[in-house]
Amino acid sequence: METEMTTENLTPVLSVRDLVVHFEKKSAISFKKKSHVVHAVCGSSFDLYQGETLSLVGESGCGKTTTGRAILQLATPTSGSIKLEGRELVGLSRNEMKPIRQNLQIVFQDPFGSLDPKMTIGSSIAEPLVIHGRWTKEEGPELVADAMRKVGLDPAFASRFPNEFSGGQRQRIGIARALILNPKVLILDEPVSALDVSVQAGVINLLADLQEKYGISYLMIAHDLSVVRHVSDRVAVMYLGRIVEIASKSDLYNAPQHPYTQALLAAAPVANPKLERQRKRIILEGDVPSPSNPPSGCRFRTRCPKAQDICASETPELDDKGNGHAVACHFPEAMSVL
Amino acid sequence: MSAPVVRVKDLAVNFQTETGVVNAVRGLSFDLEEREVLGIVGESGSGKSVTSLALIGLLPKSAEVSGSVQIDGQEIVGRSEKDMYQLRGAQVSMIFQDPMTSLNPVYTIGWQIIEAVRAHREMSKEDARLEAIRLLTLSGIPRPEVAIDSYPHEFSGGMRQRAVIAIAMANSPRVMLADEPTTALDVTVQAQVMQSLESALEATKAALILVTHDLGVVAGVANRVIVMYAGRVVEYANVDDLFEKPAMPYTHGLLGSIPSHTDDNKRRLSQIPGSPPTMTKAVVGCPFAPRCPMAQDICRTTEPSLEVVGSDPNGSHRAACHFRNEVSAMVVASMFEGIDVNDVATENGN
Repeated sequence: METEMTTENLTPVLSVRDLVVHFEKKSAISFKKKSHVVHAVCGSSFDLYQGETLSLVGESGCGKTTTGRAILQLATPTSGSIKLEGRELVGLSRNEMKPIRQNLQIVFQDPFGSLDPKMTIGSSIAEPLVIHGRWTKEEGPELVADAMRKVGLDPAFASRFPNEFSGGQRQRIGIARALILNPKVLILDEPVSALDVSVQAGVINLLADLQEKYGISYLMIAHDLSVVRHVSDRVAVMYLGRIVEIASKSDLYNAPQHPYTQALLAAAPVANPKLERQRKRIILEGDVPSPSNPPSGCRFRTRCPKAQDICASETPELDDKGNGHAVACHFPEAMSVL
Repeated sequence: MSAPVVRVKDLAVNFQTETGVVNAVRGLSFDLEEREVLGIVGESGSGKSVTSLALIGLLPKSAEVSGSVQIDGQEIVGRSEKDMYQLRGAQVSMIFQDPMTSLNPVYTIGWQIIEAVRAHREMSKEDARLEAIRLLTLSGIPRPEVAIDSYPHEFSGGMRQRAVIAIAMANSPRVMLADEPTTALDVTVQAQVMQSLESALEATKAALILVTHDLGVVAGVANRVIVMYAGRVVEYANVDDLFEKPAMPYTHGLLGSIPSHTDDNKRRLSQIPGSPPTMTKAVVGCPFAPRCPMAQDICRTTEPSLEVVGSDPNGSHRAACHFRNEVSAMVVASMFEGIDVNDVATENGN
């Protein structure tokens, strides 16, 4: 949405504070009792406001998907707080969580794996209604038809099976299923990354239309920086379980301050040959360290061109530099890399 | 000017399937000059990967290949498997998408590079090992003298792909083929791998054919670009011309559907209605006509051939479109954007 933040949406719909998710991993073949802890998410905090799109970006293993799963309580948070419209979700039982899920839905990445091949798409879309006891013989079919129309599918296809649909159409089915309960927040986990670019465009346009019409908040998890810039209002960059920078889309893309954000933006190819030739490349050395044994202090320091002694000894806090642009770096410096 | 490194003439690949003949590639022709980087782009099922397999003679036996592919003057089509051994690795090499499946998990990286080196060159084991270390250094692997004794599983995805590049460049081939070499990788790793590919080209002076769906990668490294649709070349141009003045409505649609990460403009992305034709049916007219907002009667009856765009004397920009000289960016963009999603869905729904 193009609209500016106004006072009415200053209370966040979803509020995440100091979220920590650790997975204990026992080695399957080792005889030693020792287990190790994977630090998937370490102290993430962010707010999601009504009608906005916040994207979590980062590379494999940065914790973006785990964050999304933790919000839905599909992964159990180790500590921290997740509030949906002021209601604490951490620590709720399955039964207590169930009614809340009506306002918190997810669209998965893989449109082939996320639909039951033996269910008609009509039943798949209707399933959330049934689960939450909202299905009635009179209204149910009309709600399904309505959800299908919202995502640009002909309701006449409701009796067909998933194998009759293309990837883009299946993703629309997944969106219809997530929308049928009129959720406040939709978590989009890589919603277009499995699609060809011309099909992807249709799904992106659809998501933008739905948000404009119904004021849903999107928390999008993605790695494609072009898609993220297109759909987001604000963007949070994650590295090895931590948010390293969070800002409005234009601040983040035009004046990134964290060296990792800068490297990430500089590395993403742009579909413009003249621009590509002018751009400076920032090639990072080495690989992302293992999340079961993360570096001390700043987790990016092992690959950071600016790293000093303090980066190993002190963890930089995510510090607001004004205008909601927060950076976790001891030596932040705005730099244009595009 | 010397003879082209690769000369492809009227290449066609058909597969016999239960549902009929699939024309995976039809009438593909191009020349690749020395040190040129050619990008082949297209969406799933456009025939780009089949093309790259045909160029290195790796298609399954069920494929019927016709036409001609010459690498350094030597014909590939119809060549015996035994003769291909001489050529593969030495004149032409291949980098696949998934480095885990192209490396053998039970041999060390060094063993696999040395194997490639000694397959084509008389060299003692000791010298081959030194050569392998040199190749690993060139492809940007840190501490190559240690890395050489590692197994593929000890490497990260990006390191594996760089090891694959080291193998591909081992015998200084005239041309390297790379099929989606960075698709499986994270963006900062992708940048490392592309850098290593560029230094491999520098060191070997090889030409490169880069098959990808990512127009950003093409914009960064290619000199020339082929756009494929339904097994055909629909546009062939220098990289700047292709991105700045595409002449085929499909290319317009493709470029318009990419979100930009260099501006905040939230324009609507162009969507191409419908889906590509099933390849089992014989195509009448232009294969893109059913999805093309500009299609006229002639497009549905007569298939356009790949012709020069405008009055370009070199003929470097070609497009397969009856209206290649009239396609204007504005017109096409507005046509694609005016499409209602409901029409798309109904049309697609079998």
